[in-house]
Amino acid sequence: MTSRIQETVLGVSLLVLAGCWIWLVIDTIPPGFGDGEIGPRAFPLSFGVILLALTVLFLLRLILRRNADPNGDAAVDAETPAVDRPSWLTALTVLGEIALYGYLLEKMGFLLATPAIVLLAMFLSLRVRSVPKLLGMSLGLTVGCWLIFEKVLGIHLANGIWVNLG
Amino acid sequence: MDIFLQAAAHALTPPAVAAVALGAFVGLIFGSIPGLTFTVALALALPITFSMDPVPAIGLLLGTYIGGMTGGSVSAILLGIPGTPSAAATVIDGYPMTKRGEASIALGTAVIASVFGGIFSLIVMIVSVDLVSRLAIGFGPAEIFALVLFGMSTICGLCGDSLIKGLISGVLGLMIMTIGIDAIDGVPRMTFGSINLLQGVNLLVAMIGLFAVPFIIEAFSDRSATRDETKGVANARAELPSPRMMVRNLWLMVRCSVLGTGIGAIPGTGGAIAAFLAYDHVKRFSKKPKTPFGKGNIEGVIAPESANNAVTGGTLIPLLSLGIPGDPATAIVLAGLMIHGITPGPALFMNHAGEVYSMYVAVVIAYVWVLGLQLIGIRIFVHVLKIPRDLLAVVVLVLCAIGAYSIRNSAFDIYAMGVIGVLAYVLVAIRVPITPIILGMVLGPTLENEFRTAMMLSGGSADIFLTSPTALFFFALALLVIGLQAASELKLKRKSRDKVETSDA
Repeated sequence: MTSRIQETVLGVSLLVLAGCWIWLVIDTIPPGFGDGEIGPRAFPLSFGVILLALTVLFLLRLILRRNADPNGDAAVDAETPAVDRPSWLTALTVLGEIALYGYLLEKMGFLLATPAIVLLAMFLSLRVRSVPKLLGMSLGLTVGCWLIFEKVLGIHLANGIWVNLG
Repeated sequence: MDIFLQAAAHALTPPAVAAVALGAFVGLIFGSIPGLTFTVALALALPITFSMDPVPAIGLLLGTYIGGMTGGSVSAILLGIPGTPSAAATVIDGYPMTKRGEASIALGTAVIASVFGGIFSLIVMIVSVDLVSRLAIGFGPAEIFALVLFGMSTICGLCGDSLIKGLISGVLGLMIMTIGIDAIDGVPRMTFGSINLLQGVNLLVAMIGLFAVPFIIEAFSDRSATRDETKGVANARAELPSPRMMVRNLWLMVRCSVLGTGIGAIPGTGGAIAAFLAYDHVKRFSKKPKTPFGKGNIEGVIAPESANNAVTGGTLIPLLSLGIPGDPATAIVLAGLMIHGITPGPALFMNHAGEVYSMYVAVVIAYVWVLGLQLIGIRIFVHVLKIPRDLLAVVVLVLCAIGAYSIRNSAFDIYAMGVIGVLAYVLVAIRVPITPIILGMVLGPTLENEFRTAMMLSGGSADIFLTSPTALFFFALALLVIGLQAASELKLKRKSRDKVETSDA
C-alpha cells in the first residue's frame, strides 16, 4: 500500500469515526440542565467536531498535494522506512494472544493461564520448537512472577473461576 | 536550630533510615514495572506503618513515593514503556538513546536529574512554603483550566513532521478519556450499556497498550531484523554520564526544577503535565542541538526527569501548609500523617515542627539512597538489554498483563490494553505520533472538569476566564506556543520548497 493510499484510508476512517462519534454523542448523552451549566454532552461533542474539522483539513491538504504533484507517491514511498510496513498478521496474532490471556486469567487463574500463554506465544509467534526452552521459559516466568508479585510484593494475581490453584 | 538537630537525629536512627531505604526500594520496583504505580505501592505500604513510630512511618511512605517517581524512567529508557505517566515524556529521547547503545548514560543522567529536581524542590519548599502555598491556593478552576490548556498547546511540539496528524492524535486522546461515567453529572457516556466501560479507560492501561503492545508486535514480527537492530543495544556498556555534561546542563535542570515545583504546588496537576511542559520548554529553547529531539537528545531526558521529580517537593507545599493533597499518591501520604496524629494545616509547623523537619531529612535520605541504588543498579539494568528481544517481549507481555489486571482486578483492562495497543501499532505504522494521545489522556479529564466547575461557579458566564490575570497569562502563553509552532512549520515548508526549486533549476 502506498503512503498516499494509507493516508487516504486514514483520513476516510477518521471521517467515519468522527461522524459516528458525533451521532452517538447527540443520540445517547443528554445535554446540560440549562442555566449556564455545561452538560456532559458538551466536551465529547466538541472533541468530535474538532476531529471532524481536522480530518477535513487533512483530506483537503492531501487532495491539494495530489493535484500539485501527481507523481509524488514514488518519492514518498522510497523514503518510507521498513517499520512503516505493518505486519498485520503478527498484530492480529498478538491481539488474539492478549485476549486469550485475559480470558484464561479469569477462568483458570494466573498459575495456569500464564504458562499456557507463554507456550502459545513462543510456539506460534516465535516458532520456538525446543522443548527445554519452551518449558523453562513458561514455568520459570510463571513461578518467578508468582513468587515476586504474589508472595513478596503482595499484589493480587488472578484466581480462576473454573480452576483455582491459589 | 535545636529542633532541627533533634529532628535530624530522629530521622537518622537505624529504623528510620531502614524504613526510608525499604520504601524507596519497593517504590523503585513498582515504578519501573508498567502498570504497578507507586500509588499502589503506597496503598500497600500504608497498613504496615500503623504499628510504626511516626518518623519511620512517614519515612517509609515518602521513600516509596520518591522511589516510585524516579523508577518510572527505568522502563521508559530501557524498553520505551513508561513505568508511570510522569515518565511518558522521557520515552521520547530516552529510548532512542538505548537504541544507540547509550542506555546507561540515559539512565544515569535521568537519576541525577531526578535527584537534583527532587532536592531542589525540597529546598524551595522549605524556603518558600508560605509564599508558594498562598500563590498556589489562588488557583481556582478557571486558572487550572488555563494552565491545562497551556499544557495542551505543547502537543504542537510533539507532533513530529505533521502538525495536523499530531493534533488529530491529541484529540483522539481527549475523546478516549470522555468514555465512562461523567465525573460531574454521573451520566454514562459512550458506554453502550457495558458495565466495564462505566469506569472508563484507565490511563495506565492505555499507556501500557500504547507503548508495550507495539514493542511486542515489532519484536514478534521480524525476528531477524530485530536481532540485528538490538546487537548495538545489547553491547551497551555500563557507562555513567560525565560530570562535565551534567554541569553543562545545570541551568536546564534548575529551570525545569522550578517549573516542576510550581506545577506540583498546584493541586490537581501532577508529574506528567510538568514533564511534558519541561520537554516542550527544552525543545523550544535548546540552541542548535547536535542530536535532534526525538532521536536521543540527552536534554530531552534531563528536562522531564528534573521536572517530574521536582513535583514531589511541590506537592508537599499545599499538603503540609494547607492539608490539600495534589494527587492520589500524596493523599495516601496525608492519610499516613493523620493516622500518626500529624494534621497538616497552618498549625502544623507550631505543633509538629520536629516531625516536619524529620520529613525533610527523610526526603534527602530517600533521594541519596535512590541515587546510589540506581547508579549501582545501572550495571544490572543494562543486562536486561542482553536478553534476546523476542524473549524479552514474552516477559513484557506477561508483566504488562499483570500490571493492567492489578489496577482494577479486571480482565477487561487486559482486553482494552490489547485493542489500544494494536491501534497504536497501526497509528505508528502510518506515521501518526502517539505521544499527543497520552498528553490528551492525561490532561483531558482535568481540562473538562475544571472548565465545567468554573462555568458552574460563574453561573454560565465566560467572564470568569477573562477577569483572572493568571488565566489570561496562561491563555496568552498557549497562543504564543501555537503561533511559534505554526510560524516554524511555515518557515520549514518554505525552506524545503526553496530547496526543491533550487535543485530543479
